[in-house]
Amino acid sequence: MMHSLGIAFDLLFGSPIILFSIAGLIWGIIGGSLPGISASITMALLLPFTYGMAPVQAIVMLACTYIGAEYGGSIPAILIRTPGTNSAAATVIDGYEMKKQGRAGEALGISLWSGVIGSLFGLVMLVALTEPLSWVALAFKPTSYFALGILGLSVIASMTNGSLLKGLAAAVVGLMISTIGTDPISGVTRFTFGSPELLGGVEPVLIMIGIFAVSELMMQSGSRDIGGLREQVKVRLPSLNMMNRLKRSQFIGCLLGTFEGLTPGGGGSIAAFLSYNEARRWSKEPEKFGKGSEEGVAAPETANNTVASTALIPLLSFGIPSSNSTAVLLGGLLIHGLLPGPRLFEQNADVVVGLYLGSFIATLAQIVVGILLLPVCVWLVNRPRAYLAGFILALILSGIYTLNTSLADLGIALGMGLVGYLMRRAGYPFLPLILGVVLGHMVESSYRRSLLLSGGDHSIFLEDPIAVGLLLASAVFVTLSLVREFRDARNAKLKDAHA
Amino acid sequence: MTPRFSDNLRNPSGKTSSMTDRTAPKDLAGGLAVLAIAILYYLFIGDIAESSLADDVGAGGLPRILAFVLAGFGVVLVARAIIEGALARAPKPIVATAPSRDDDPIAPLPRALGFLGFGAAYVVLVPIIGYLPAIALLIGAIALFEGAAANWKTALIAAGGAVGYWAIFVKLLGVRQPSGWFF
Repeated sequence: MMHSLGIAFDLLFGSPIILFSIAGLIWGIIGGSLPGISASITMALLLPFTYGMAPVQAIVMLACTYIGAEYGGSIPAILIRTPGTNSAAATVIDGYEMKKQGRAGEALGISLWSGVIGSLFGLVMLVALTEPLSWVALAFKPTSYFALGILGLSVIASMTNGSLLKGLAAAVVGLMISTIGTDPISGVTRFTFGSPELLGGVEPVLIMIGIFAVSELMMQSGSRDIGGLREQVKVRLPSLNMMNRLKRSQFIGCLLGTFEGLTPGGGGSIAAFLSYNEARRWSKEPEKFGKGSEEGVAAPETANNTVASTALIPLLSFGIPSSNSTAVLLGGLLIHGLLPGPRLFEQNADVVVGLYLGSFIATLAQIVVGILLLPVCVWLVNRPRAYLAGFILALILSGIYTLNTSLADLGIALGMGLVGYLMRRAGYPFLPLILGVVLGHMVESSYRRSLLLSGGDHSIFLEDPIAVGLLLASAVFVTLSLVREFRDARNAKLKDAHA
Repeated sequence: MTPRFSDNLRNPSGKTSSMTDRTAPKDLAGGLAVLAIAILYYLFIGDIAESSLADDVGAGGLPRILAFVLAGFGVVLVARAIIEGALARAPKPIVATAPSRDDDPIAPLPRALGFLGFGAAYVVLVPIIGYLPAIALLIGAIALFEGAAANWKTALIAAGGAVGYWAIFVKLLGVRQPSGWFF
């Protein structure tokens, strides 16, 4: 405890951590406020710039971007009925109603305040739960790590939108991509086609930028401008009386945000919609929901900001990202050679403490920065999409080149953009693919190390109780997902028959 | 009837069976693509060299398993798409559902490929003409492609953007960008 406080003190006064957390926050709010640019895309765009940074600075900046993007997403949701991020979709319902009633500033103030409450609660949970959970990982053997990778992939594949089979296929393709390059055990090359650029494998950052950012730009090509906000808006923070009234819905948002953050595949959007429904159920004025209810803004905004912190718990403890944004953060950790788990807390305590401290700074600074940045966000939302698209692609290509000064990297990212676009068109979720790429090395090396220990005998996986438990859990997730899929298909058929 | 948000959570894609009927050909194409990837990947496993340092599994061991698993998924996806297509009835109006990301407009393939083409053209051009002119061309060309007017304003924005990026990356961050004949 005292050791951690000492690190925090050193970071606060002996490093530019405040600067990096504020910079990440600003980038997050701006990126999140642009419709179609989700938190994960905003973070992915930042990834290339973190290469040259110290690990603690890079991770703080990425985490604070995540926090900022969650608030940023509510700005267009409230002002122009278009959520900047998926998790702000529930905010549209009452936020835009409030705007129509001339209360846009009040809605933005409630969003900002609820975001701060959610982030602070999430941070407390993050600090309290992450390290104890990570110690569980000390009992892990190679067989357990292999099973953990399989659990992560099957949970994400079964929880993401679309069919289970498509999710699993995407995860396998991700694992296949991770096999490109030099084999870690024998040193022979695989699937490099004689290209020296592929000897080190395909960097996850290129896959993330291609699939998240380039494919989104391709999807949006030719779509209409969204802007058109003409009036001036000023953030109005809630009064003490209003803060008191919002307590119940914020508490619901905190609880559900924590639960969804811990659940792989949960994410901010599900937490936001669940919180909205529960806040309506427990509200003293449920009839106001959908007609400009303050609680209807507070609940989802608290929930999605709580998720921004609690989603880091499974990531830092076990290295399993539960959402697109945490997958990008995992990419950031891997870029700097940081492996999540108990050793991260021992060997890179400065990164962990810095992450907590930076997130805390960003959460508090959000109130001031959020108010000051609003005119900039409104100006950006009103820019013609035709120009924005070119500027974003130029940023992507310039940023990627800085990684290895290699034009081949640009080709890979653009190629992955095409893959992402085709996957979206065919209804394939891409988070399992990303996870396959990120976890591929762990899955393969654990699998092969286990078999080295057993002399090729696969029964070693059944001799480790942790591995057996994790593999059984994978099977349960996959089975439940299959059952749900069959039930949904049957219900849809019945619905059609009655229509 | 207004859909409840919980409906959207249980069925995030917002699809009904009538939509499923419509997506069967897309699913068939997707399944065939998965199968093709598995076959191609399997064929390339043969190129992996044997090593005296190899373990029991070998460098090609896991890839071989992955190829078989993916091929299995591909076969099931194709079979399911064919069965769904065969069972499809006459198209019905799509039932309104709560909004979801899947219902967002998706640019048609030629348009999306056109957009991507500008990125590819940049990769080809930048080592020849250099970073500054290539970025200006990229921003300007995409702006025109996305519907901006072909006038001085667009040209100025493209040039200004290129100078801005050059100042940020090359001058401020000190990151080397490709140089060509001109810059």
